[in-house]
Amino acid sequence: MKRLLIIFTLLISNIFVNAQDTNKKKDSIIALDEVELINVVKKKIETEMKMAVSVDEFLASSDNISFIKRGAYAWEPLLNNMSSERSTITIDGMHVFGACTDKMDPITSYVESNNLAAIDIKSGQEGNMHGATVAGSIDLKRRSTPFSLTKKWKGAYQTGFEINNKQFFNLANASYSSNKFVADGSLAYRKAENYSDGNNDEVNHSQFTKFNASLGLAYKTSELSSLKVEAIYDQANDVGYPALPMDLWLSRALITSATYKQLFENGLFKALDTKIYFNAIEHYMDDTTRPENLVHMDMPGWSTTYGLLSKANIKKNRFSSEIQLNAYNNLSTAEMRMYPQDRSERTMFAYSWPGVTTTFAGLSINNAWEISDQSLLNFGGSLGVNYNHSKYVEFNWIFHPGTPQEKTRILPSLHAGYQLNIDNFNFSVGGGYGHRAPSVSEGYGYYIYNSFDRYDYIGNPDLENEISYEGNASAGYANDKFSLQANVNYFYIENYIIGRILSLGSPMNYQSIGVKGYTSLDYSTLFNFSLNGSYSILDNLHWKGTLTYARGKDENENNLPFIRPLSYQTSLHYQYNKLSFQTSINGDLEQIHYSPEYGEDQTPSYTIWNLSADYTFKIKDYKTVVQVGAENVLNEYYSTYADWGNIPRMGRNIFTSLKFNF
Amino acid sequence: MSNNILDINSRNYNFKSFKLNTLLVMKKISFFMTAMLFAVTACTLDKTDYEDEINTVVTEYIDYEEVVSITKGQYLINIVALNGTFYKGYNEIRLNITNTDTNENVNTSDVTFLPLITNYSGNSTSCPHQYNLDYNTADDYYLGYTVFTEESNDSQNWELYITFTDNEETHSVTQAITVEEQTNMNLNMTSFTADDGEQYFIALVAPQKPAIAENELVAGIYKYNQPTNEAGTFPDPTQFSYTEVTDYTLLLDPRMPEPSMGNHSSLNNVDLTQQDDGLYYGVVNYTMTGNWTLNFIFQNQFGETIKGTEVSTEFTPGIEGARSELHIDILF
Repeated sequence: MKRLLIIFTLLISNIFVNAQDTNKKKDSIIALDEVELINVVKKKIETEMKMAVSVDEFLASSDNISFIKRGAYAWEPLLNNMSSERSTITIDGMHVFGACTDKMDPITSYVESNNLAAIDIKSGQEGNMHGATVAGSIDLKRRSTPFSLTKKWKGAYQTGFEINNKQFFNLANASYSSNKFVADGSLAYRKAENYSDGNNDEVNHSQFTKFNASLGLAYKTSELSSLKVEAIYDQANDVGYPALPMDLWLSRALITSATYKQLFENGLFKALDTKIYFNAIEHYMDDTTRPENLVHMDMPGWSTTYGLLSKANIKKNRFSSEIQLNAYNNLSTAEMRMYPQDRSERTMFAYSWPGVTTTFAGLSINNAWEISDQSLLNFGGSLGVNYNHSKYVEFNWIFHPGTPQEKTRILPSLHAGYQLNIDNFNFSVGGGYGHRAPSVSEGYGYYIYNSFDRYDYIGNPDLENEISYEGNASAGYANDKFSLQANVNYFYIENYIIGRILSLGSPMNYQSIGVKGYTSLDYSTLFNFSLNGSYSILDNLHWKGTLTYARGKDENENNLPFIRPLSYQTSLHYQYNKLSFQTSINGDLEQIHYSPEYGEDQTPSYTIWNLSADYTFKIKDYKTVVQVGAENVLNEYYSTYADWGNIPRMGRNIFTSLKFNF
Repeated sequence: MSNNILDINSRNYNFKSFKLNTLLVMKKISFFMTAMLFAVTACTLDKTDYEDEINTVVTEYIDYEEVVSITKGQYLINIVALNGTFYKGYNEIRLNITNTDTNENVNTSDVTFLPLITNYSGNSTSCPHQYNLDYNTADDYYLGYTVFTEESNDSQNWELYITFTDNEETHSVTQAITVEEQTNMNLNMTSFTADDGEQYFIALVAPQKPAIAENELVAGIYKYNQPTNEAGTFPDPTQFSYTEVTDYTLLLDPRMPEPSMGNHSSLNNVDLTQQDDGLYYGVVNYTMTGNWTLNFIFQNQFGETIKGTEVSTEFTPGIEGARSELHIDILF
């Protein structure tokens, strides 16, 4: 620990030593462009196959994201095959925490594709900018229109219909920009009924309705500074979760922020960006639609977060640096109230999250040093303090007598990576080290029913920090026509947190078969590999392919759950004037390394074939795109390794969409 | 930094319009903020007030108030109990004797206390009680307890037979009292004949108001002493003798009987053993509010089970949990 701190201090002092030479004045515009070099991944929010995608579908197009699916809505993103508490998921750097103990509301479910501009995914400790992590970070970047010289109105409207689940959606967004003032707004509404699987059987409780609105207002407070206030409001009603014993009656999120940004023309600092934010989420489950349930149960949850983040960009010659201060305070409370069969009897109440406060403050630094035109060194670190407080600690005392009400943890992180480009070849190698604190459920959860392995889960406030050591490497070749890129990473995670059967205690939820407590394994290991290739067969005919493989093992060489088997995707894209065609095949091989211990069974292989075509034309001056396509053309009946309770995926789905830009 | 929201090239602006624009924007923003705040404060469903939740079925009494006052000659006897009421089950009693002539507390007396219930046919029985009260010098009262086994009703009445001595003279008083129903199930009691042929009583003393937590469970365990001699002058205390049971053990298995709870139990519970004050202490963990059954197995000082049956530990959703033949139901 001491040694690490010394290294950390060295890193910091290094930056300032390197940055002391300040006599050269650089044009700030150029400088700003270069600041952006630091690892900004930018993608348009549409996949190759489909232009009107949900946030989940878009995330799924990334190699290192997979999903746990509990239905058609609100998929839980797994980064590097690790569950969502191991990654930091943020919206423009803002921490938002779901209010559902059963992970029915990952943060990605509170945004919509038309209020996002990009999703920035960083693997492992490189993702420590927004807070402590093991798997990496997923930052959902909000759409933000720049100031413009002349007054400009812009907008898009998109509508479409998906036949399988009768999903009808309307997405609209508009922006106004001028020299001094910018306004961005979006509205989205989706409504879907139950979908049908590959046997044309309806999957009950898979409907959803979602409304999302966002607004952003910015004005220039001076030539080099701006103030911006933003808000997202999201509401989902009547959402079915076929894999769970209950559905969602209502969830609402309000995500707000105010940002002040200052640019500097001269000097070491190029930009300073400070944001205060507040978000509140409420989530109400509903099991009245499930008459088969023996017990009626109310399970409301609330999560409120206040936060601050402040980011400075430094640029000096070939050296650039990003420093970020993160601070947030979250209060998560979740209740369960069970109703006896004789409703005149007393209801049974307990907290599943007994009023848990998490306060985090951390400082992160990322540096990029262009050693030469061919090589780049990235290195950085962060140091955070994580504080937890359980309001009703007596709940925790039942399983952990005498455990303290408060717990403070120090969360360090370090990473370094070297990139080398020689002619058409590129190589990289890197490593990282970092801690993470247990999540609210892992630390303080109380009889949280997990319908996957059918155990009630109990948190342990005394869990050690999870400590990750990681290594990663990549090699690639690219020329005008052909590219091939291989990435590997390996995680050795000490004190890996996972649920283990407790011989003590008996289940509380009637579907449950026992009680599991979150415990730390001595260690576990995770290996991820991906291979990407592309080839331009003709000028207007392109091929792309991806292969991924992952392996996760615990300390006894047993398999970890939710590790993706060997999977592949291959696609062809053909452009003919304003008409373009896409087709893709994707699938997983048979899941060999499944984990019966954690409730998994073997999932057979599957292959899905998708097709789509779109046509771009103009109605008056408006660019219009119309698209028709089909997913799972062969109507294959399948479920993937990460489908909760083996619920079948959607069968053949024909989709249409129409988009106007103005 | 991914979105370069400031365009530094645009330096030609009109100062006037800037000011106006800013004002307008400020107005818009303040409206926006107000709307936002309004939305934030409106929560769809109210959170449960946990502190208040348990109060809906449990009333906790903290204050000792006078139940009866008896005048006997120049003496005034006050009996004080929780909430000024005698309840079925365990009652701590505090007794004051004042000599109204001298206005002094009598504190050197031997005070005896005997509760008797007389049924419609005129038979009298008693209940576990402390016959010789102790004097509490710190707080100036005589301290004892009684475990009323029945509530007063039309056909059976409770009377207290109290004697005390002052100036080497014994005074005795009789006072009719009312024993009310104990609505707080956490102070329930049970009586039974054990395998050894003796009659026992178990009365819950604490917690009055349990929490979803580890709760210290306190019970009094008493035994009826069969009289060995012929009855003397009524009321003959030897005919109505009860003692605290010493060095027995009460094994504890708390469970929720509600069918949907499937025989749910808790963990880290501690069996009840006797402590210095004569009461039995253990730990019960309640994992949620609702109906619970405290299943007991009663063992004598040799570890022999003299009452109670082991209950199934199986998780049986939909089936009401089977209770031990020796149990007390509670609710909180």
